[in-house]
Order: sequence, then C-alpha cells, then structure tokens
Amino acid sequence: MTDLILQALYSGLLQGGSYALIALGLALVFGTMRVINLAHGELVLLAAYIAYTVESGLGLNPAWAIPIAVVVVSLTSAGVYGIVSRIRKDREINSLILTFGIGVIMTNLILLIWKADVRSTSSSWLQEAFVVGPLYSMRGEAVFFIVSLLLMAGLWWWLSRSWYGRALRAVSSNREAAKLMGIPPARTELVSFIVAGMLAGFAGVALYSYGVIQPAYGGALTVKAFIITVLAGVGSIPGVLLGAVLLGVAEALTVTLASSALQELAGMMLFLLVLFVMPNGLLGASRRRG
Amino acid sequence: MRKITMAASIAVLMAAMAAIASRAHAEEFVVGAQLPLTGTLARVGAGMHEGVMVAADVFNKGNSKHKIKVVTVDDESAPAKAAAAVEKLASEGAIAITGGYGSNNISPASDAANKLGLTYITSGGVDNNLVNSGRKNFFRINNTAGYEKAVLGTLAEMGAKTVSIVFSTKEATSDLANSVQKALTAKGVKATAHSFDPAITDFKPIVNKIRLQDKSDVILMVGYENDYVGILRAARVLKPPVKALIGVWSLATPKMATEFPDLMPNVYGTALLPFPATFDTADGKAFAAAYQALYKKEPDYLGQFGYVQSMLLFEAIARAADKGTIKKGGVAEELRKTDRETLIGRVQFGANGDNLNFVHRMAQHQGKNIVIVWPASNATGKMVYPGKPW
Repeated sequence: MTDLILQALYSGLLQGGSYALIALGLALVFGTMRVINLAHGELVLLAAYIAYTVESGLGLNPAWAIPIAVVVVSLTSAGVYGIVSRIRKDREINSLILTFGIGVIMTNLILLIWKADVRSTSSSWLQEAFVVGPLYSMRGEAVFFIVSLLLMAGLWWWLSRSWYGRALRAVSSNREAAKLMGIPPARTELVSFIVAGMLAGFAGVALYSYGVIQPAYGGALTVKAFIITVLAGVGSIPGVLLGAVLLGVAEALTVTLASSALQELAGMMLFLLVLFVMPNGLLGASRRRG
Repeated sequence: MRKITMAASIAVLMAAMAAIASRAHAEEFVVGAQLPLTGTLARVGAGMHEGVMVAADVFNKGNSKHKIKVVTVDDESAPAKAAAAVEKLASEGAIAITGGYGSNNISPASDAANKLGLTYITSGGVDNNLVNSGRKNFFRINNTAGYEKAVLGTLAEMGAKTVSIVFSTKEATSDLANSVQKALTAKGVKATAHSFDPAITDFKPIVNKIRLQDKSDVILMVGYENDYVGILRAARVLKPPVKALIGVWSLATPKMATEFPDLMPNVYGTALLPFPATFDTADGKAFAAAYQALYKKEPDYLGQFGYVQSMLLFEAIARAADKGTIKKGGVAEELRKTDRETLIGRVQFGANGDNLNFVHRMAQHQGKNIVIVWPASNATGKMVYPGKPW
C-alpha cells in the first residue's frame, strides 16, 4: 500500500506540474486584465500540433518545436488581444463570449489542417521510464515538470521585478492611475497576452511530449486551467503551482484509494471546498505577491 | 465502305441514346448521412463517412436503374444536434439515414428518424438499449455481444486465469466491460474491473494497482484510441507482470501501428481484416478499389463498417423501389429480409433490428503487420503469447 500511495503522490505531483504549466498563461491574463481567455486551451493545443508537425514532418524531437511554437502562439495570442482590445463596453463579460468564439474557430481550423486523428509523440527518449527508487514516470514528464517550475519562477520574477511586470500589476490594480504614471495600458496588456502565448507554447509542446492530443481537446484544457486559476487565487503565480499540485495529487489519490471513475469528481469537490473555505483562493489577495 | 461507316455511326448513336435514356430514367434516391465530422468523435465520424461515400460510389457504378445521392450533415458529436441533423436531412428529401456514431448520439437521432418514418442503419453504437427501445425502423450491423465473443474467445485460447479490465465509464464501454466481467467470473476467471473517467490522461495510478495488487495475466482495455495510448504508455513505464494486453475497437489498425510503433508490438485488438489487407470476395475487391481511388489510402475498419451498413441500405432501397413500396415502409421491410455475406460476415436482422450473426475477430500487432488470431476459421497467423510491447 505504501508503494501505491507514494506512486500516487509522485504521479499527482507531476500531473500538477503539467496542469500548472497549462494554467499559467490563463492565470496571467486573468490576473492582470480580468479577461478570461476561453481560447487559451486552443492556444496550448496549437503549440502541441506545431510540435507534432515538427516531429512528423522534420523527424526532430518535439522539444525542437519550442522556438517555433512560442513565436507562432505568441503572435496568435497577440492577435486575440487585438480583437479583445476592440471591446469598448463590459470587457469582462464580452471578452468571455468573444474568446469562446475564437476558441471554436481555432478548434475547427486545427481540425481542418491536422484532421481529427489522435496524435502523440513517438519519441522513445521521452517515453522511456524515469525511475527514482519506487517512483516511476516517463522521462518527458520529469523533464517538463522541471521546465514548468523554471517557467513559474521566471514569471514570478518578471512580474515582481521587471518594469513591464510591475507595469502590468499597476494597470491591473488601477488603469487610470497607471496611465497618470506614464504606463501605456494597451501596450502592457499586449505584453501580457504575448507572455501568456509564450507560456502556452511551452505548455503545448510539453502536452504533446507526454500526453495525447485531439482537435476537440482545447475546451477541456481551458476548463482545467480556469479551475486552477480560481483555486490559486486571482493573480497568484505560486498559488497556481500549489492549486495545480493539490488538484493533481487529489486526483491521483482518488484513483489509488477509491475509483478512477471518481477522479474528476474529486477534483471538482476540492475546487468547491477550497472556494467555500477560502473564497479568495489558496493564495488570494491578502497574501498575493506577483 | 460508306454504308458500313454509316451503319456503324447509326449503331453508336443509338447506343449512346440508349445510354442517355437509361441514365435519364435511373431513379435517384436521397440518403442522409448523419455523422460527427467535428467535435470529439470527428475522427471516427470521418472514417465512417468514407465508407458511406465508397458504398454510394460502388452502388452507383454497378446499378443503372437506381442512383443514390448521399447528403451529409455534421452532428458535431452532440446528441441534440444529431436529432436536428436527421430532421434537416428529412427536409432535404432523405428517405433513409445511414451513419451515427456514439450510442448517446444515435439514440436521439434514431428517435427522430422513427418519428419521421425514416429507416436508420448504423454501426456506430453498441448500447443494447438502441435495439431494445421499440424503434421500428432501426437497424444495426454490430453489437456488444459480437465484441464480447471475440474477447472471451481470445482469453479462453490464451488460458488466462486473471484479467484486469480497465474501462471508460462511457455507456458502450461500460456495457462491454461489465458483460465480459460477468462472463469471465461465471467461467471461474478472476476479473478485476477498473473504471476510469473519459477525461483522465494519466493512467499510472491504475496500472500501478494492476502491477502491485491484481498481478493479472492479461490487461483488457475497453476505451478509445487516446485511452489506449495512455494505458499502454503507463504500462510501458511500470511494466506490470502481464502476459498480454488486449483492447477493443480502434486499436488493431494500421494507423496505430504507424503512429505508435513503440507501444503496439504484440498488442491485441478487434479487427475485421489483417494488414496488409487482402480481399477475396468480389464485394471486398470492389470496396478496396473504390476506397483506394477515392481516398488514396488503405481502408480501415470504420470505412468497412460504414460501407457495409450503407450498401445493405442502398440495396434495400433498390429492392423497395422495384416493388414500389418506398413510401409504404418498404425500405425497412426489405432490410428485415436481408441475408447476405458481407465484409463483416453474414448479416441478418432480428425483429429488433440487431444483426443476429455478428462476431468480431481478434487481431494482434506483429511487427508491421496486423494478424488475425481469433477465431481459428479466420486466423491469418498464430498469436504471440505471452507477448508485451516492451
């Protein structure tokens, strides 16, 4: 039993890292602009399909797709911002509808270009077992877990130390006051979308490297990312990691100790429980930094 | 010489006029294809649609008296839209419906067809409620029982004493897994079931339970392509002490062999044909030739099922048209009389519209080939047992 629980904790931790990577971009845009980008899952998926193209078309390891995926998805994300920024009234609610529509369009474009087949990496290196004592994972999972941690640390540093990061937080807190301080809100918001796109680029390549992708998968990714963002506490980057790992571990323990059929239910129960006890999320406004 | 040329010209002209006249008299019937071409079932829907179009092509080329025009509506993998698709097809003049994928989509779609008096034929849903809910014009060429026979037959031949059944909680997969578990238990085989939510992607905790607790001879996977990839990946990492891994639909396909070469060796799955495919019958050869011409690739099982169900429907339409009973429920009546050898074996429909003779075959990935290993009468090779992908 100990072995089973240890493996469940380890699997949950890695799964949490994967969830966190997927949720980061959404959390950034939501935290800084209060815009819920419902096309975020499709941006992640676009990067995953770019990784597939690089692997199947050029015969390269999917990791080589990262630069292309980051550039393409960042530009696409900037395009999404270009459309969202045209909203003049009730941006929060209208952006929800608009990005949902963009997500539907992207899903169908992906379907048209890459067809509906199930895709995943065929790289043996990424699929090989990575064993630490009694703990097992795929090499790809372990590698991208570390990448996920590094990206989160980098993002946290960027938001709290760089000029643009601080500008973003200023615009998020008080747009008008930020303007008076000489911060151009539109440009800082564009930067936030571009950075979110870069993160989605990494997340997509990671997803392709240890998971399975299909054109209709984007919606599920967005939902998972949104749950983690709310669980974390709006705008909290360490909260994203904590929320994602909690979710991953709760799911894995449910599979091990109860039934795998209850996994999604356990995740939702955790989500509701945290919101009930801590309405601001795990690391909500009072303790937020970054 | 001049007279001969003249006579030949007249003969050619008359032949051409006769051909034009016969074409002009060929009666055209609209058949609706309601399929998921987008959404979560887009891949399987597109595969079946290829079979439908091949059937129409083969039928039209071999039939000068009747022509079939297929009108397709995408149901977007959504039950409500599946019913709306059937209504739209009826408004466009469809006299029968072929297609449907996923029991939850087929159920409302076939209800809509039933209300409109349209015949509905499918191979995309194995839920038993589809044939046991009193739909008068509903026909199905495959069913859970046929898959169950293939799984149980293969497990019996292996002599498996313990089996871990990993299954998706979707209706069709749950039905099959529960039936197999019940049958295995009755035979004295220890069968442990592990259900999983269709949304899960990490199967390591489940496979770890099989490795440390079940210690089974065989893992039976009842899910879909993405689930198989997840389970096989987890198994490859954890290496449970099993002797075989068996899946059901969508696993023993050339596509899976090509896309996941490290995961597929020695894995079993249901399949109608070996790969490379060989077609012995005239029907099979016509199907393969038309499929290659239209889609420039090897036909897969979805195409075969789509072809068979549609061809049976088109033939029934032709017979009903000959008898002048199209508008009097003749299509369903003719389908009920069907008794014919097809690419999936002999098809006869029972009173509830289910195919009485459906038994699937079990195949194994061996190298780059897919070898039929069960039943012995259709086997193209011997099973490699014990055999694992790692």
